[in-house]
Amino acid sequence: MEKTIKVINKIQKEGLIKKYAMGGGIATIFYVEPILTYDLDIFFIPSEKGRTLTILSPIYKWLKEKGYKTYKEHIIIEGIPVQFIPVYNKLIEDAVKEAVEIKYKNTKTLVIRAEHLIAIMLQTFRPKDKERIIKILDEAEINMNHLMEILQKYNLKEKFERFRRWCYGE
Amino acid sequence: MGSKNLSREEIEKLFKAKDLFHRELSKMPFDEKIKILVQLQKIADGVRPSLKRNQRVWRF
Repeated sequence: MEKTIKVINKIQKEGLIKKYAMGGGIATIFYVEPILTYDLDIFFIPSEKGRTLTILSPIYKWLKEKGYKTYKEHIIIEGIPVQFIPVYNKLIEDAVKEAVEIKYKNTKTLVIRAEHLIAIMLQTFRPKDKERIIKILDEAEINMNHLMEILQKYNLKEKFERFRRWCYGE
Repeated sequence: MGSKNLSREEIEKLFKAKDLFHRELSKMPFDEKIKILVQLQKIADGVRPSLKRNQRVWRF
């Protein structure tokens, strides 16, 4: 996965994206015990250079020139299916802006904070998101004050409380 | 194997130990977790191989 991250960092260095952060299942794994997933979700803020009508095309064009193949919505980078997702609302934009810098082996990368992950999953709220929220709440160290601030800002507090009551009977 | 009725306290203790185990696993280094993920993908592939190209075992 280190090679994949290096390629993504290169995309940022080339100015095709302004900032990125890992999200989805792989970001969840950063905070909890390993769960099964098959792709790497990369949320990104487009750069001015990359801000075209078809926001993904400069990234795909660059990667295809390097010989990477696409499969439906994914592009296979060094053996890993990667999905590039432009920030599509303010919550996700904040999540990328406030992502935490980590190191994967010797390579720097960014991962969305656990508090933002919970909020994003509350928005998407698919069965697997509910499962992941529970895992993060049970296993990760959460800054509850920060989580509440985020949930308040994006009108998710009530949904969260309802979900928490349903899961834990609190 | 003989069965034993466990008290409420004993059951709670068991579940607490289980929670602690999962929390310990969550603290593993990220690259170690990714190695385990690939093992999970291999196991899943052995049980029910996916025809989708984006649901294959990572090869890196």
